[in-house]
Amino acid sequence: MTTACPGSKAEADHLEAETAFAAFIRRLAHDAATLRAIKSGKVDAILDPASGRAILLPEAREALRRGAAPTNQILATLPREEYQRLLAAGLEPVTLALGEVLHEPGELIRQIYFPNESLLVSLVTRIQNHGALEIALVGSEGMVGLPVAQGIGTASVRAVAQGTGTALRMEAARFCEALGTCLALQRALHRYTHALIAQITQTAACNCFHQVEARLARWLLMASDRLQSNLIRFTHEWLADLLGVRRVGVTVAASALQQQRLIQYSRGNITILDREGLKASACECYQKIKDIFDRA
Amino acid sequence: MRRKQIVQPSDPAAVAAMMVMRLYVAGGAPNSVQAIANLEAICQQHLKGHYQLEIVDVFEQPLRALADGVIVTPSLTKLSPLPAAQIVGNLSDRSKVLLALGLQGKTP
Repeated sequence: MTTACPGSKAEADHLEAETAFAAFIRRLAHDAATLRAIKSGKVDAILDPASGRAILLPEAREALRRGAAPTNQILATLPREEYQRLLAAGLEPVTLALGEVLHEPGELIRQIYFPNESLLVSLVTRIQNHGALEIALVGSEGMVGLPVAQGIGTASVRAVAQGTGTALRMEAARFCEALGTCLALQRALHRYTHALIAQITQTAACNCFHQVEARLARWLLMASDRLQSNLIRFTHEWLADLLGVRRVGVTVAASALQQQRLIQYSRGNITILDREGLKASACECYQKIKDIFDRA
Repeated sequence: MRRKQIVQPSDPAAVAAMMVMRLYVAGGAPNSVQAIANLEAICQQHLKGHYQLEIVDVFEQPLRALADGVIVTPSLTKLSPLPAAQIVGNLSDRSKVLLALGLQGKTP
C-alpha cells in the first residue's frame, strides 16, 4: 500500500487520478439507479462499452489486492480457505517504516506481523553498558510475535523494522483465536519455530567465534535471501549495532568486501555484486542457517 | 468463471415452473462472491433445486454482458418465468431479491 505525504506532488497526482477516475465512472454510469448502486458499495465493476472491457472499482481492486497470494512464505503455504479465514478475522496489510519498533522486551505483544518480501525485522537484545545486538533476522520466511503462537503474551526482545516495507498484521488476541482452527498455520509455525531457534543458536555461536568480515558477509546474504534482492539499504551505524561491533569495525569489513568486488556500498546502499564470492567469505553459519530453513 | 447449476426435475410441470437466471460477476471480487453466496442460499431455500442459474464472469465475457445490457456487476437477470427482472448489487437485501424474483410471500 502506498501513501502520499499531505501536500506533496505525489498526493496531488493521486487526487487528480482519483478525480479523473470518478468522472470516468460517472460518464459510464449515466442513470441514477446505476450511480446509486455504485455509491452503495455493493457493486464491484462497471462495463465500458467504448473499450468493451470490464473495469474494477477501486474498493474491489484493493480488496482483491489484499486477498491476493501473499509473499510471506508462511502465509503462502496455507490453503486458500485458511488464508481467507485469517483475512476475515482481521489480517490486514500495513506499511512499516525504518526504525519502527513492533514490540519491546517486557511489553505485551499487541500485534503479530508476517513480513512481505520488502521488509526485514531485527530481533534485538540490549545489554546494559553495551550496545544492541541482533539475535535473529525475520523476513518474508517468518513471523514477528512468535511467542503469541505459544501462548506467551509478553515479548522478550525488541523487534525493529530494518527499512520501509510491507507486512500483514493481526491483533494478537484475534490471531490466537484464529490459530486454534488453522491447522496448516499451526504446522507452519512449528516448523518456523524450530528454524528460528536454530538461527538464534547459530547466531550466538557466530557472534562469539567469527570475525566481523565473515559475520557481515553472512548477514548480507541472509538479508538478501529474505528481501529477494541484491540491494540492501543500511548504514554502517545500523550494521554495527546489529553485529554488536564498533562502527569502524563494520567500515573495515565492508571495505575489505568491496575491495574484493563482492559488494559495493555508497550512501546507505549495499549491492551484492558476487554472491558466490560473498558466500565463500561468509562463515559456515550462513549455510547452516539456510539449510535448516530450507528443510523446515 | 462460467458455471451452470441445473437441476432437471423429472416432473414436466416442475420443468415448466423452473426459474432461469443469469448472474454477472466480476471474478472473485467481494460483492460478486457475496452475491453468489446470497443467491445460492435463496435458491436453496425457496426454489429447492427448481432453477437454472448461469454465472458469467464479465472479465471473461465482457461483450456478452454489454450485449445483455449489463452496466455494473454483480447483476442478476431473471429470464423466466416472465416478467423478466434485473437486480444490481450483492443481493444482500433478501426481501428485495425475493420481490424481484416473484418469490415474496411464497412459503419455502
